[in-house]
Amino acid sequence: MNAAAAPHPVLDPAHAPPFPVAALPVLRNPQLRKNVAHAIDVIQAKRARLVEEKTDWQALRSAAAAIRAHALENLGAYLELFEARCTAAGGQVHWASDAAEARQIVLDLLRQENAAEVIKIKSMTSAEIQLNPFLESAGIEVFETDLAEIILQLGEDEPSHIVVPALHVNRSQVREIFARRMGIENLSDNPQALTAAARNYLREKFLRIPTAIGGANFLIAETGSVAVVESEGNGRMCLTLPRTLITLAGIEKILPRYQDLEVMLQVLARSATGERMNPYTSLWTGVRAGDGPERFHVVLLDNGRSRILARKNERQTLRCIRCAACMNACPVYRQTGGHAYGSVYPGPIGAILTPQLMQMRHAQSLPYASSLCGACFEVCPVKINIPEVLIDLRAVVTDQERLRIKRLFDPMYLGLRVAALVFSRAWLFHAAQRMARIGLRPFTKKDGWIHALPSIGAEWTQTRDLRGLPKQTFHAWWASRGKGVARENR
Amino acid sequence: MTSTVSSREPILNRVRAATPDGAPSAADAQRSWSALPRDYIRRGSLSAPSRLELMMERLREYDAETSECRLEELPAAIGAQLTRSGRRTLVAPEGLPQEWLVPGFKWKIDHGSGNGSLDIGEIERADGVLTACFCGVADSGTVVLHHTAAEGRRVLTLLPDWHLCILRASQVVQTLPEYFSRSHESASAPALVTWISGPSATADIEMTRIKGVHGPRFLNVILVRDEDAAAT
Repeated sequence: MNAAAAPHPVLDPAHAPPFPVAALPVLRNPQLRKNVAHAIDVIQAKRARLVEEKTDWQALRSAAAAIRAHALENLGAYLELFEARCTAAGGQVHWASDAAEARQIVLDLLRQENAAEVIKIKSMTSAEIQLNPFLESAGIEVFETDLAEIILQLGEDEPSHIVVPALHVNRSQVREIFARRMGIENLSDNPQALTAAARNYLREKFLRIPTAIGGANFLIAETGSVAVVESEGNGRMCLTLPRTLITLAGIEKILPRYQDLEVMLQVLARSATGERMNPYTSLWTGVRAGDGPERFHVVLLDNGRSRILARKNERQTLRCIRCAACMNACPVYRQTGGHAYGSVYPGPIGAILTPQLMQMRHAQSLPYASSLCGACFEVCPVKINIPEVLIDLRAVVTDQERLRIKRLFDPMYLGLRVAALVFSRAWLFHAAQRMARIGLRPFTKKDGWIHALPSIGAEWTQTRDLRGLPKQTFHAWWASRGKGVARENR
Repeated sequence: MTSTVSSREPILNRVRAATPDGAPSAADAQRSWSALPRDYIRRGSLSAPSRLELMMERLREYDAETSECRLEELPAAIGAQLTRSGRRTLVAPEGLPQEWLVPGFKWKIDHGSGNGSLDIGEIERADGVLTACFCGVADSGTVVLHHTAAEGRRVLTLLPDWHLCILRASQVVQTLPEYFSRSHESASAPALVTWISGPSATADIEMTRIKGVHGPRFLNVILVRDEDAAAT
C-alpha cells in the first residue's frame, strides 16, 4: 500500500542509479507493481481491439514511418519553413541548443510578462529540461493542469509513463494527496469525485493566470501551425485563455504538411490510449486577433537531437511520436514501472532515447534493460526498430568500457580476451574443451546438469542451471562418423 | 535575449551536417514527400445511410448525446434539446442562421473580436453553447471545427458546460483522410482547428474513463438530414 516507503525516484539520468539498482525498490513493492500492471492491461486490451478493427493498420504504420523518416531526412529545410510560416502568422520562434538555454529563454519570456504564476499543459519536453524546478527557484509558481501531472506535482512524485504519468498511483493514494494538498475533508476515492476536485482546483487558475507553457505533438512546416493532442480540455484552456503562450518543442516534432495529420492522428490515439480519437486535438497558427493568446512563442529545442540525427541507424529514434505503446507492450516495463529508468522517458523508447540524449555519457545501463523480445517494435506506430537500436547502443557502451583502463583487469573482460584467443585457434579450442570437460565433471550431477558452481561461476548458477558438457563434442562425432564409432557413447 | 539569436545557425548547421542527403529547401523536399507510400484507406466504402449510422453510433459510444431531424425541423429540434436539457442562457457565434436562435431562451451572441465580443465571464456563466461545425468524421465520431463565424471563437465551445452542435448529413465523411481532402478543397490549410471526439474525459486515475473534466462535460449533436446527403 505504501509507495511513500520507496526512495524518491531520481529522473535525472546524470544522477540516477543504474537500472538494476533503481528497479529493486519497485520489484519489492507489490502495490506499485499491481497499479502498473492494472493500468497497462487496460490500455493494452483497448488498443488491441481498435487495431484489430482497423483493417488498414499496417498501411497506416508504413505511411506514418515514411512521413516521419522523410521529415527527419529533410529536417533543416522543414525547420526553416516552419519558422518562416509561424513568424508570418505572428508567432515568435526561439532556438535553444540545450536544456539550460531553453530554460533561460522561457524564464526571460516570463520576466517580460512580469509573470509570477504560470499554467502548464503536460509536456515531457519540459520535464526533460527540468523546467519546473528551475522556474520555481526563480520565484515563479508553476501549476500543472493535466490531472496526472497535478497528482504528481501535489504528491511530490515523478512521472512513470509518458502518456499516463501517474499510472503507478492508485485511487486511494490520489485521494490522500488531494485531501491533504487541496484541504478537502471527506473526499471520496471515487475517480469521478477526484476528477471533480481537480476541476474545481484549476477552474479559477485557468480564468485568472495570463501565461501558459505547453508542448507540441506536431509542428506543421507547411503552415507554421502547432498541434496538441489531449483529453481533458486543460490543453484547450491553456491554449485559448491566456494572453501569452509559450510552446516548447523538440526540433524533431516537425511534420511536412497539414495533410500528414490524416495519418498521425489515426495512429496516435489508438496507440496511446486505445481510443479511435482522443477527445480534443487543437491546431493553431501564430496568433489570431480576438481568438486566443495575443503573444505566441515557440522554443525549438535541440538538446542532443541533432547528434542522434547524425547517426544513420539511430536516427529512427527521433521518429517517435510519444504514444507509449512500446512501454505498454514491454515485459520489463510491466515489472519495473517507469521510475527505474531514471529518466522522464521510460520503457523501450526511453532505453534508446535517454542514453543518446545524454551523449552516451550517462544511462549506459538502459540499453540492457530489455529482453530484446521485439514486442515494442511490433506495436510502434512509426516502426522504430527498438531492439536493433538497443543492440547498437550496447555495442557503443561496450566499446566505451573496453577503453577504460580498469577494464584491463576486470574478470569479465579478461575472460573475453582469453576467449577471443581460444576461439581463433582450433587446437586451443579443442584443448579448452577437454579441460572444461574434466574441470566441470565434479560439478555435473547425475541428471546431466550443473546446479552450482564456486566463485565467479556462481554468478551464473545463482539464477539458472547450466547443462553439463557432453562426453563427445559435435566435432568429434562428425570426424568419427565414417568409422562406424559415432554411437560409441550411447 | 542574445542567446536566441546565436543558437539558430548552430542548430541548423548541425542538423544539415547530420543529414547530408537532405533537400536544400522545403520546395525540393516536397517532391520526395509526394512519393511517400499512402496505401491506407483514403476513401470510405460505406453507403450514405450506413455512414450516418456509424457517425451517430461512434458519437454515442464516446458519451455524446445524439438526435436527428430534417432540415425544416431543425429549429424545433434545437428547441426540444434545449428544453430537455433545462438550459436557459446560451451563447452563440454571430454566423448562425437567425432561425436557430429559437425563442423562449436567452441568447447571447458573440461577435468575435473587438466590439460585441462576449467577455470570458459571460461565456463561463452561460448554460451552454450552440454552434455549427465544418465536418463530421464517422470512423472516430469526431466533429471538426474551423472556428469560422458559424463555429465561433475557440473559447465559446470551451467554457460552457454543454455544447449543442449542428451537423448536416452532407458534412459527414467516413474517414479522417476524407476530412483532409474536403478541407483542402474549401481553402488552403485552416489556421485554427479543433477536433472534438465526445465530451472532455480522463482516464488518469486507474484508467477509469471519467467524462467531463475541463472542457464541456456534455456534447449534444443534432444530425440534420439535408438534401445533398441523399446525392452522395
